[in-house]
Amino acid sequence: MKMNMIAVDSLTVKYGELIAVDGVSFNVMEQEIFGIVGPNGAGKTSTVECIEGLRRAYRGKVSVMGLDPWKERQKLYGVMGVQLQDTAYQDRVRVWELCDLFSSLYRDPVPYGELLEIMNLTDKKRAYVANLSGGQRQKLSIVLALIPNPRVVFLDELTTGLDPHARRQMWDLLLQLKERGLTIVLVSHYMDEVEAVCDRVAIMNRGRIISMGTINEVVNSFNLKTEISFSASLHNIGDIEGLTGVVSIARIRDTIKVCGHGDECVAAVLQYLNDNRIAYTNLAVKPPDLEAVFLNLSGYDPAKDGDAANGGGRG
Amino acid sequence: MKSGLIKLAILEFKLFTRNFLSMFFLLVFPSLMLLLFGGIYGNEPELIFGGYGSVDVSVPAYAGIIVSVTGLMSLPLEVCEYREKKILKRFQATPLSPAYVIISQVSVNLLMTIAGMLLLFLTGTIVFNMRFMGSLLPVIAVFLLSMLSVFSMGFLIAGFAPNMRAATAIANLVFFPMLFLTGATIPIELMPELMQNIARFLPVTHVVKAMKAVWLGESISSVYSSLLVLAGVMLVCFFLSLRFFRWE
Repeated sequence: MKMNMIAVDSLTVKYGELIAVDGVSFNVMEQEIFGIVGPNGAGKTSTVECIEGLRRAYRGKVSVMGLDPWKERQKLYGVMGVQLQDTAYQDRVRVWELCDLFSSLYRDPVPYGELLEIMNLTDKKRAYVANLSGGQRQKLSIVLALIPNPRVVFLDELTTGLDPHARRQMWDLLLQLKERGLTIVLVSHYMDEVEAVCDRVAIMNRGRIISMGTINEVVNSFNLKTEISFSASLHNIGDIEGLTGVVSIARIRDTIKVCGHGDECVAAVLQYLNDNRIAYTNLAVKPPDLEAVFLNLSGYDPAKDGDAANGGGRG
Repeated sequence: MKSGLIKLAILEFKLFTRNFLSMFFLLVFPSLMLLLFGGIYGNEPELIFGGYGSVDVSVPAYAGIIVSVTGLMSLPLEVCEYREKKILKRFQATPLSPAYVIISQVSVNLLMTIAGMLLLFLTGTIVFNMRFMGSLLPVIAVFLLSMLSVFSMGFLIAGFAPNMRAATAIANLVFFPMLFLTGATIPIELMPELMQNIARFLPVTHVVKAMKAVWLGESISSVYSSLLVLAGVMLVCFFLSLRFFRWE
């Protein structure tokens, strides 16, 4: 049975009159990668800062490994690794000097040479931080977060500014760390990242968690449309509109785009094409994903916006 | 933890030495000025310098430059940089309180100020055969009070400045008048009455006045009013910055 590492119960954070986090509750289990996603200003960072003991909760209870992060921060910082959103370091400090300093702050640090090796930073050991690339600096942040030999790590916008290759390396690393027994809380606004590494995810919007669970659970909870597209010379697209689950259909040049709910919709469309012996090519079925959930939250409607961009259709 | 504090202080020291502007204005500039003006005027006793040589009176006056470089430029800009880059916040998430980061910055700046003064003293003694008429204890006491007073002004700048750019602007705005209007570089006796009156409101003027007096062997009580001003500035700035300092 895995232990409950983090428990957040009705957490509220206020900045003056502004309610940044509004009664948020969730648990993170040991050895879990838990994602917190949502648009800018959703309250993600404020929530995580309360768990990290950097910010005081206005109301509600937070505990990490049974400790109160605000009152028992000193105990907690020995087992917690933190990467803050957009921390910079002194320009004229060398990589090894920062690592050396951070190592001296903890009782049982991981030898930083190993961590630099894993992050491919060994040859940058003597470099000034100012001369590192964005990705290398981000990797250094992670090295510093892992030096305490933590049991739980918080990563806030980990791969912002990294190229696709470095991002995938980072994901592999997170999965390795999880295998070694680490619990990871990941704040992100990259949906592909969350889908690639997170066991569970909480979607935040305007200070509240509006959906939480595995990626599939969350995506399904929004009841978004599946998008089927294919090329065919189809004259009467009105027939398809009447099929089970189909919500909208549009023709963009020779591509036909059908939006609908669930797998029945896909089956019905294919059945129709086969029954009527309509030849089709370039068939693509795109089930709803986190990206669609995110866009849906921010008010972007693919059916509407898509049609509008293509000179209208049948919405 | 203890080794952490030492490592932190050593790192802050290294970072200070890597800051070209601070190093130049603290260690090179005062000695350079001394070599320049000492070279022009020599160090023979002159009536205009109250019967002392130009170097004899310049060295204590330059103390005003030295404490201003660290207290008004280096320290507030460092603290602001650490806050703006969220380095202080990053340390908040370690077992080491960010207060120690500030403490080690202050310590390093105090130490470097003393080093700057010693270097200037050596330049004066070796190159110009400078006369030192004062006794050591009052000189050290006045120098310490001067440092603390000017440092607390710097801290207030760091507390109030919303960001690095503002801090740089404020620090320059405070630093340059202190450099030229306080007698640190241009003897105050040469200024018209109006400027002398303005100078009286600048704390560094009192640093220069008090340092000169004890340096030339006058008793510490002869400059008690300047010392009171410095102590007052120190207390007011210290408490204001305690009240208004922001960690992020």
